[in-house]
Amino acid sequence: MSLFPSVGRKQPRLRLAWTAVVFILWLGVFMHLVPFYIMISTSIKPAVEAMSMPPTLWPKEPTLVGWSLIWNISDIAKSLLAQPLSRYFLNSLVMTFGVILLSIPVTSLAAYASSKLIKGKVARPLFIFFIGTLMLPGIVTLIPSFLLTRNFPFPLPVPPNIPGTDIAFPTWRIWNTYWAVILPAGFSAGNFLLFKGFFDGIPDSIINAARVDGGSEFNIFRRIILPMSIPVYAVTTYFTFGGVWDSYLWPLVVIQDSKIAPLTLAIRRIADAFSYAGTTNTMTAIGASSSISPLIEQGLSWNGLMVLGLLQAIPVFIFFILAREYLLKGVRIQGLK
Amino acid sequence: MTSVTLENIVKHYVPPIGAAETHPVSGLDRVNIRIEDGETISVVGPSGCGKSTFLKVVAGLESTDEGKIFYNKVDVTNITPQARGVGMVFQDYALYPSKEGEDNLGYYFEVRKKTEEEKQQRLRETAELMGIGFDLLMGRQVDTLSGGEKQRVGIARCIVREPNVFLMDEPISNLDAKLRERTRTEIKRLLKKFSITTIYVTHDQQEAIFMGDRIAVMRSGRIEQFGTFDDLYYSPANLFVATLIGTPPMSVIPVTLQNGILQIADASLTVPAEVAEKLPEGALRFGVRPEAWSVVNEPSSALTMSVARVERLYTERAAFASGQIGGASVNVLVPLDFPAEAKEIFLQPDWTQASFFAADSETALHTPGAPELF
Repeated sequence: MSLFPSVGRKQPRLRLAWTAVVFILWLGVFMHLVPFYIMISTSIKPAVEAMSMPPTLWPKEPTLVGWSLIWNISDIAKSLLAQPLSRYFLNSLVMTFGVILLSIPVTSLAAYASSKLIKGKVARPLFIFFIGTLMLPGIVTLIPSFLLTRNFPFPLPVPPNIPGTDIAFPTWRIWNTYWAVILPAGFSAGNFLLFKGFFDGIPDSIINAARVDGGSEFNIFRRIILPMSIPVYAVTTYFTFGGVWDSYLWPLVVIQDSKIAPLTLAIRRIADAFSYAGTTNTMTAIGASSSISPLIEQGLSWNGLMVLGLLQAIPVFIFFILAREYLLKGVRIQGLK
Repeated sequence: MTSVTLENIVKHYVPPIGAAETHPVSGLDRVNIRIEDGETISVVGPSGCGKSTFLKVVAGLESTDEGKIFYNKVDVTNITPQARGVGMVFQDYALYPSKEGEDNLGYYFEVRKKTEEEKQQRLRETAELMGIGFDLLMGRQVDTLSGGEKQRVGIARCIVREPNVFLMDEPISNLDAKLRERTRTEIKRLLKKFSITTIYVTHDQQEAIFMGDRIAVMRSGRIEQFGTFDDLYYSPANLFVATLIGTPPMSVIPVTLQNGILQIADASLTVPAEVAEKLPEGALRFGVRPEAWSVVNEPSSALTMSVARVERLYTERAAFASGQIGGASVNVLVPLDFPAEAKEIFLQPDWTQASFFAADSETALHTPGAPELF
């Protein structure tokens, strides 16, 4: 692969352009790597140096105090959180895999139908309806969505009455349950587009051949289409995993009970304590909250914060490694078409 | 053992909302055809004429707006493609890419819940029919096969089930010339062996002639003519069929007929009385096939053609000279040793092989009819 055709690249004008493009690309790479560098270098600084102004590029006295969190985080969590850390971890897993199990089949079947089964007049309006949710930023729908979880399926603070009676419609309160996170994520417009783009690339004749062979529509999907579509499933599953695992705002709005709160909420609480410990001087911190003092005593401030951030990122990173081959392949198939 | 009958089939494509075209596009427009049991028919026509739609309607892959389809005497109009028991071969092979060759053939048995023994039995029989080297394709991943090999697997997948009707949608168009020739013969051999009712769709008239016992010529959703090659060639139903069938095509020259004298450009020819009496007076179109011209030495009572180019067909020991008469392009079959430097030749039509068409429509007024060769 090359940026420019190889012929004529030695011309000074092209050489200059080539250099400029490569420089801009490297700048982009550099800008992406800087935050990671700061996270990692800060994580091995001692507590005081992590907060020093101006910040040091490389720790003067590298220490693994921050990383000691890995084995004593549960002690810290005990003093700061209502539940053991493993509980939050489990909640996150339940929500993430709940969303994956619901949203990937729903979205992919919808995309398959939109791509291959629905023809004629309704096809286009339906497609626009499906991707319409992309047009609204999530923050705009935050409050209606919240209301929806209170009186599902009505986005109203109080459910309406059944016409002609004084009896309210029966509603299902999914607020403050796992469903509040899982159900609204049951369809993903972004994944829908990825799936549809992929399915559009599959020739109709393959499906017609399978029909003539006698396969039912669902059997064709399962036995013929699905094995061809592993890359796009890997990509969408990865995106869904990352999105739900890292989600913070929505669980914060709909989850009150600490028993079902995800890891992001718990880590946020610990992180708050760390940054508090980092920004105030030791004496006020001790005076302000007894729960923070163990952190200070252990030499934890923003260095611990960085370690927590890295720990939170690890599952997504592992998932990326697992799906890596398909991610690249999937992106490549999209690129070719 | 199936005959296929289409009665008054109408199929409109509704353009999607937002498309440039807003009126329903006609896919099939009152198609009536009866394909006899064991017969192979070719469907030929320019692209977009509805020939693929025709095939899909027979297979049940497209719904119809009006009309009925019968397999033998059974109305299958509302029967799903899964239940029709047809076999179909596609232009792009349409093999299942995630499966090996054998599993491509096996999918039919899998979804029909057939026993493993039956499957193996049929696979063996099919491999035998398909000939040498076919076994080797069975174990290979589909994407490692060449185009010709893919289509062999495609054809095998079609015959492994013993279909009621064979449907072939331009099966060899994607192959290169040499392979096309070979696969064509191969398909013909298989069709002969089975004598299964077959519909063979192609845009290539040579292929259509080679494959079909009868040929259906289609244009914009209608069947213009359905008959044997001789019918189409010697008794074309209209100008469209006349100019489509035959390579190079029939020359069509605007003429005027008055008192048995045909005025062509600045020449006049006397039309034999038995032909002239069938024709109206006035402006006409005169159609002559390349082989129905004879080259004469005298310009008197002959047409003068300025020769633009000569194409020599060495295998046929003949050549085609092309040029113009009265602004219409004309092709003439000439001997292989026809001089390249010839600028003008004098031509006389063979009146027993000449056709006449109306000047303002495609109506055929007079066609020669098939000659009695034996």
